[in-house]
Amino acid sequence: MTLAQDLTARYQAGLREQSEPLAEEFAAAAEALEPLLKPDELERWAEIGVALSTRSLRSWEAASEFFRASPAVAKLLSYERMEHWATIGGWLSDSSPTVAATYLRVTPEVIEQLPPDPETDPGITGEGMFDTMPSRTDVERWVRGGERLNHSNWKSVALAALYFEYSARLLEQLTLDHLHELVDIIDLLSERSYQLATSCLEDSPALFATLEYPDRRPFLDFAKSLTKSSWADTRLLFERGPQLLKHIHAGERADFLMLAASVVQSSGRQGFPRFMETASALRLVPVAEHGTLIALANRLARRSPAAAMAFLRSSPVVLARLTAEQIPQWVETGARILFEDENIDGAEAYFRLESVRAEQVLSGLSARVELSDIGALLRMYAKALTGAPIAIRSTEDIVDRGIGWVQESMATTEGTSIFLPPFVGSFQDQRENFQAYKVFTTHQTGRIEFGAFGFAFGLAGAHAPATLGAREEALPPRERPALTEMERFYDLFEARGMIAALFTIVEDTRVDATVGREYGGIRPHLKRLQSFEADRRPDIRQLGLRSALAENLLRASLGRRDLMRWPAEHNQVLVDAVRALMVVEERGATVQDSAEVAAALYDIAAALPNVQGSYPDDAWEQPDSAMFGASGQMPVGDGADTDTDGQRPNEEMDFETPDQPEFRGDFKPELVQLLSMLKMQTGASGGSGQQLSREQVMELLQKSTEIGLSEMAEGQVAASVGEFLDNLEKEAAASAKAQQQDDDGEGGDGGGSDEGGSNDVRNEITWTLYDEWDFRASDYRPRWCRVGERLGEEGTLDYYEETLKRHHGLVTETRRQFEMMRPESFRRIKRLEDGEEIDLDRSIEFIVDRRAGVGPLAQVYWRRNKVERDVSVTFLMDMSASTDEEIEKHRPQERNSTADYQGDPRNYFQWLAARRAQYSPDPPKRIIDLEKESVVLIVEALEAIGDSYGIYGFSGYGRDNVEFHVIKDLDERFGDRVRKRIDKIQPVRSTRMGPAIRHTVAKMLAHDSKVKILILVSDGRPQDHGYGRDRTEKEYAVHDTHQALIEAKRAGIVPFLITVDKEGHDYMKQLCSDVGYEVVDDIEQLPRRLTSLYRVLAGG
Amino acid sequence: MTGQGMTGPGRGFQQMQVEDFRLTSEPFYLPIADEIQLFETAYDQHLPVLLKGPTGCGKTRFVEYMSWRLHGHLGNKSEEGVPLITVACHEDLTASDLVGRYLLEGEETRWIDGPITRAVKVGAICYLDEIVEARKDTTVLIHPLTDYRRLLPIDKRGELLEAADGFLLVLSYNPGYQSALKDLKHSTRQRFIAIEFQYPPREQETEIIRAEAGCSLEIAGELAKLAEKVRNLKEHGLAEGVSTRLLVYAGKLIANGISPRRACQSAVVWGLTDDVEVQQSIEEVVTSIFPE
Repeated sequence: MTLAQDLTARYQAGLREQSEPLAEEFAAAAEALEPLLKPDELERWAEIGVALSTRSLRSWEAASEFFRASPAVAKLLSYERMEHWATIGGWLSDSSPTVAATYLRVTPEVIEQLPPDPETDPGITGEGMFDTMPSRTDVERWVRGGERLNHSNWKSVALAALYFEYSARLLEQLTLDHLHELVDIIDLLSERSYQLATSCLEDSPALFATLEYPDRRPFLDFAKSLTKSSWADTRLLFERGPQLLKHIHAGERADFLMLAASVVQSSGRQGFPRFMETASALRLVPVAEHGTLIALANRLARRSPAAAMAFLRSSPVVLARLTAEQIPQWVETGARILFEDENIDGAEAYFRLESVRAEQVLSGLSARVELSDIGALLRMYAKALTGAPIAIRSTEDIVDRGIGWVQESMATTEGTSIFLPPFVGSFQDQRENFQAYKVFTTHQTGRIEFGAFGFAFGLAGAHAPATLGAREEALPPRERPALTEMERFYDLFEARGMIAALFTIVEDTRVDATVGREYGGIRPHLKRLQSFEADRRPDIRQLGLRSALAENLLRASLGRRDLMRWPAEHNQVLVDAVRALMVVEERGATVQDSAEVAAALYDIAAALPNVQGSYPDDAWEQPDSAMFGASGQMPVGDGADTDTDGQRPNEEMDFETPDQPEFRGDFKPELVQLLSMLKMQTGASGGSGQQLSREQVMELLQKSTEIGLSEMAEGQVAASVGEFLDNLEKEAAASAKAQQQDDDGEGGDGGGSDEGGSNDVRNEITWTLYDEWDFRASDYRPRWCRVGERLGEEGTLDYYEETLKRHHGLVTETRRQFEMMRPESFRRIKRLEDGEEIDLDRSIEFIVDRRAGVGPLAQVYWRRNKVERDVSVTFLMDMSASTDEEIEKHRPQERNSTADYQGDPRNYFQWLAARRAQYSPDPPKRIIDLEKESVVLIVEALEAIGDSYGIYGFSGYGRDNVEFHVIKDLDERFGDRVRKRIDKIQPVRSTRMGPAIRHTVAKMLAHDSKVKILILVSDGRPQDHGYGRDRTEKEYAVHDTHQALIEAKRAGIVPFLITVDKEGHDYMKQLCSDVGYEVVDDIEQLPRRLTSLYRVLAGG
Repeated sequence: MTGQGMTGPGRGFQQMQVEDFRLTSEPFYLPIADEIQLFETAYDQHLPVLLKGPTGCGKTRFVEYMSWRLHGHLGNKSEEGVPLITVACHEDLTASDLVGRYLLEGEETRWIDGPITRAVKVGAICYLDEIVEARKDTTVLIHPLTDYRRLLPIDKRGELLEAADGFLLVLSYNPGYQSALKDLKHSTRQRFIAIEFQYPPREQETEIIRAEAGCSLEIAGELAKLAEKVRNLKEHGLAEGVSTRLLVYAGKLIANGISPRRACQSAVVWGLTDDVEVQQSIEEVVTSIFPE
């Protein structure tokens, strides 16, 4: 009998009592251990195991794991250390047998992950034995992690057990130090939520497996800071962290995480979202720049980690506009705000790009020119050149409209607007980029000015002989007349794509040549840009001969014949083509010439075989420029003579339209002509002339090569053509209406006749952006608020008339008072004893009288009466939701009821009647009602005096949506529509005063009058979503409003505030330092106060 | 500007009575349409003339030219043209400023004829420039002069003057800054035949600039082109288009060695507007047309 059997026999009965399998596990373990342990050791082992099993009620579970793990452990640890192992298991089982069981079970795997103890005495252990044995301290440290998580409740027990469960996998990635950091985090989390702690722990092995070793420590530091300041985000960090960090340069991640950790400490809940945004922002920045950026950020972080993070977040935007070398310069200004001015808020705003200063420095450094900065200038420039009211828009607009233009990077025009890319940054120098913009614009205006869209079939050109008519006759007769002149022209040719491409090249050549001739000043810039574009052309040798011909012509038209490449055997073809092209460069060439030249080129190209790759690369030679001669010449044998069959492009035809240079952009004469026809049709709705049927237009669109449907499948085409046509019609309708509106406006008729019709058109919202003052940063936040101006809704006339009736007396009175203000127009007042100048005639009279002995009056002076009354005033009404509040009436003290009727029923009824009378059937009056009444009164009075005035209401929600309601515009004539709009003044949402004031100021500035007054009527302090650092902060809004009022003053406008908020005195002082204000205590006095106040302000 | 005969290098100071002023040589005037014929006929038929047109388009020059050209008409037999009396109207212009007044001279008063009275007496062309600037009640006094009566009442002296044969009243005004305030009364404006002036078309304007400024035809053409472009901006930032006069100034600067861009800047851009954005736009047009 072996010792193992002996021991089994000895303890079996006791163990069975605990659990049947326990005895078997003991037997198996003893068997396995016998060869590994000395007999006395084995005996002691058995004692320890059995003791463990009986230590507490459920400690047999731990014992079971002890037995099972023992053989493996015995191979890894010396017996002495094995006992130590068991001792720990015992301790653990005192608080939780489950934790102890897990510990005991995972030990063999964990030992393999722990570093071997360098101090293991080889004397104790045998050769090669236990050389991976970890030190006692390490094991204890490992166990201590679990102990720390165990707070003796079942959730923490589960967490501790999970810790041991995951230990081996965690230790694969982490050192014991790291592990303890992680335990810190999990422990902190477990104070808040065990569920969160558990899932973070579960995520950990996978998480750390994806993090590189040097990043682990900083990551843990960051996670710890995050847990402390915003524990709920830790889970997100564990889930997404590695993904976010992946995009950051490996060498910089640690620095970045350290930075993030310090930010999190200072910014609480916002910390993690900012970290995420920053990490995603860095993703958009070339990895090579990360080092510089993070180094710069680290410097800022010394003073303001938030500013540092903001800087990183803005870096993609900044880098898009500056070179890497310029970035430190830009940072420098912000750093000065931070370190020298010690304005942390200002610096943060600067780096968030929410300060005008930041924008200024950015655009000062940047070579890039933004369309938004120079759009107005270019609009006027284009208007000057063409004499037409050309709009300048961003190319993003035309693509969105879905009317056939698809290229965002190129300039283009549809005949009434010019579309330019949102920015130009091709050159290193800001001036050059601006000049590029100017060339873009000039080429597009050139198309309009020099009639590129005005092709008319059958008109003769200046230089080229007319052949188109003969060509048309040679073709079978048309089935229906062409819709547009361009359609008729293009229909002469089999390959519409090719003729369109050639016509584009020819016409652009003509426009460029004409621009160069007419505008000598722009010629050098045009040449440079042409050359710049020519250098970016694709490799010609890959093209078929026809496409190559077109490409060569394009290069020639860009003035770079040196870049032409052509197989010498076809030289004559090229010479003919280039000379034909030169015809349109001559003075006086028209679009008709271009059409003829394009037709001739088509013939030339069609005669070429279009086999691709039939020439080796070295066969493409640069043609001798002397071949082309000095002047243009049409090829001999014009189209009329050519056999039409001969020009049919043959089978191998595969023409590739060359890409347009950016400054020329898309040229779509067919569409433009169609669009202008649609416009005319919409403009003269129901009018005479031929109406375009939808089918006709569809047919035209389907064959047109201008709408870029070629890449679509057949089925798609029909659907998208339909949609496209809808867009086109919308476009045409919109501009026709705009046109009409213009005409109406000029007629000065105020639009009284067709109120219903024009209403929906004119009620479009026009958006304007305004800066907002950030008092902390002492700077404006650029383009921060978006004000949407719209016409007020119209109600009925009843309200207005009712109010007039109700306040009849007051109305008459104010009218009279106002009429007295009316000046006696400006006139010379003569016969004064003192004045500006001596009246010559009077003086002579005086002297003559004196001589004659008549008692003269020395009234020889004259002066001019006060200058003519030239006042404009705007009333800005608060339409915030709070104006919905009822007015607390100053009711007479209700008499004590019980004392009053004293049980007598007759008294009671009297009392009841009196009480009912107090509550009139009218709905209770609200603040807004008083505002409306005031408006009615003041309108009546102002109509009497003749001052120009505007009435606006404002409300809105958030900075993106400040609603600005026009009740009566400054120039608008007073009428029923205004009366109706007054009816519809109603409470809406919040009170963002600043932008509303700024918008009103902008409107007043456009208005010409000597005295300008802005009266703002409000019921309380300014407040809005995001109008301040948080919901409770009031200062920001007050400062911005104050700033807006100061701006008004600077612009020569007299601002005045009236509030009906009784508590108004506290903030009004701050809001209106340097600005007049009044708190109307008795709110019902508002109408009266408003009118009398106006007399004071504007009367003089 | 006075007439061609009046300027010259080193010419000293000159003084004369207004009615003695007449042009001695033909001033430069390029007819645009039939305005010369119209004016001549009006003169012969004693029809007062109203010249309408924007500033600097040549109204005054036209009157000068006509006063020279009409020397053979209506008893103006002298070789020197019709006397031309110009009154620049302003808002403080009174009736006595026009008709005349008593002045003190030593111990007595003496009557001094106003410009209009002098014109009536000598048979001159009386040119009231920018008539809308004058107050409405002042302008009424010219009414009897403008119809068939051709009479000028001088109430202070109790006299009635009948105009000499060669007398013609010519008014000018610029409808550009017409406002409700400054408009001609209908009773006034319906007493005149009106000749409308516009800025001349590009070719003619080129010719005018060349002749007046003495610059090259090419420069004159570019200036006229610039003018055409700038005038497109009227009502869109500019109250008035650039006047031919300013173009002539620019041409003179260029002809005397100032670079075209600089000359346009000072004669055209800065003169036209104070609005920086509009200035920039116009400068861009200038730099597009004139190379550095």
